[in-house]
Amino acid sequence: MTSPPHPGLRGIRASLRLSLLSFVADPQWLIPSSIAPVIFALASFEMFRGSGPTLVLYAVLGASTMSMWGQTLYGSGWATGQDRFLGTLEPTLVAPTPYIYVVAGRVIWNVVTGLVGGVLVLGVVLWAYGQPLPLTNGLVFLALFLVLMGSLAAVGLLFTALFVYTRFSGFIQNVGEFSFYIISGAMFPVILLPFWVSPFSLAFPATWAVDALRYVGIPGYQGLPFGLMGDLLGTLGTSLAYLAVALGVFRWVEHHLLEAGTASDY
Amino acid sequence: MERNRPGFLRTLWGNALFSPKTTLGFMRVDFVVGEVFILSLTQMVFFAFVATLAGGGPASVTYVVVGNAVSSVTYSSIFSVCQTTDSEKQQGTLEPLLASPAGRLPLYLGRGLIPILLSLATVAVGLGYAVGLYHVPVAGGALGPLAFSVVLTAFAMVGFGLFLGAIALFLRTSIILGNIFLFLGLVVSGVNFPLSYLPLPVQWVGYAFPLTWGVASVRATLAGAPLSQVLPLWGYLGLSGVASYALAMVCLGLFERLAYRTGSLVKF
Repeated sequence: MTSPPHPGLRGIRASLRLSLLSFVADPQWLIPSSIAPVIFALASFEMFRGSGPTLVLYAVLGASTMSMWGQTLYGSGWATGQDRFLGTLEPTLVAPTPYIYVVAGRVIWNVVTGLVGGVLVLGVVLWAYGQPLPLTNGLVFLALFLVLMGSLAAVGLLFTALFVYTRFSGFIQNVGEFSFYIISGAMFPVILLPFWVSPFSLAFPATWAVDALRYVGIPGYQGLPFGLMGDLLGTLGTSLAYLAVALGVFRWVEHHLLEAGTASDY
Repeated sequence: MERNRPGFLRTLWGNALFSPKTTLGFMRVDFVVGEVFILSLTQMVFFAFVATLAGGGPASVTYVVVGNAVSSVTYSSIFSVCQTTDSEKQQGTLEPLLASPAGRLPLYLGRGLIPILLSLATVAVGLGYAVGLYHVPVAGGALGPLAFSVVLTAFAMVGFGLFLGAIALFLRTSIILGNIFLFLGLVVSGVNFPLSYLPLPVQWVGYAFPLTWGVASVRATLAGAPLSQVLPLWGYLGLSGVASYALAMVCLGLFERLAYRTGSLVKF
């Protein structure tokens, strides 16, 4: 006799399945989060015109990162906001399966679509550039791309916890998208930012991951002073910290929300 | 019956008053605050850093921040206006609305009045950031012509938003169209670099976009250019605005008929 699957795993699987079905029913939703990065990259191309292949890498890498972030933030925020709008947040919260498993399924799906979006943006930008990307360590670069996506997923999980609690997920999405582009140094080195921004930048896993990607992709790159290994440790440490905080916040938010009875407020 | 058709002004005013509760219902206070005060700032700061990395120097940064201050108008004028058709479809109110005898011009123009005000506020705040944070110089006596440029830009851009909203009437959703035109100006309108950098066909696309003339007229008035230089820019801007409203009305009529015929009116 086989034992029934763990309720958490069942929740993740069901959530993943629903996300997949929603995506298959309407795959166009991948496009909106990819349009802004493509256009930002094209604008940056023109601004970097004549500055050599190094700055092209900034534009390509930045656009892909921005696309993945857009997918993570909007995917998480939109799903929870829709739960509130459609009135399904409250029944989902009172179901025996903890809500975090439902969210985990969505975040995993967003990781997948985020990667697809990132590759899509990469393709469009390279097509516009008309030349192969001047990369020497393609495989390492690809592996670090996955690390970057994982770090964004950790941030997405924490943001989703906040989205569950607040009616203002739309506001956080709008403000968070562009703020991320700046503080993570997606398109330019964080060293250009004022010193007081540094703690915010370094508290963000993607800042470390993007810096690591540049160390691998851009010859002679001088970024954060910790080097490639330092960047990788920074990515891992901050991502784990985000995951731990997200788990704690989820527990607290679920209880508080049910006590306050505001899960159906929109 | 024709005599029972509500008057132009009544329809215009009624739609302007009710739109924040209906088609623009998604624009809550937090949404508006983010749009007017934060998005304009973050977009400007982002491209200012990109300009710094590109090594263009202070002149390049000034060019970029002014362009982005004006282009932030697209959030309220294009995206929000374009979304109104989606809201009607989602709420199921588009069919009864189109069955009403109200004139289409005041109906849609009325819905555009609040976005025109928001567009004015967004550009004004954006230019305030440009002057306050990046010390963009303002020529003496430039405020009057600058204000006129901003008002004309807001008017023209909302017309363009209505045009896109008209196309969205036939589409399942306006979100992709809205997203494309929300940011397209950053490339084709001389926001971050001169139009002359682009291939000629793309330059012509830019010239058809009201934002291009809006950015150019704001730059000219900020620099205190003589009226002989500014008037043609205002002329092109006004013309592009009137053309956008005219196209919007033609497309609304056309796509309304098409949407009835194909049933896409209720497709969301």
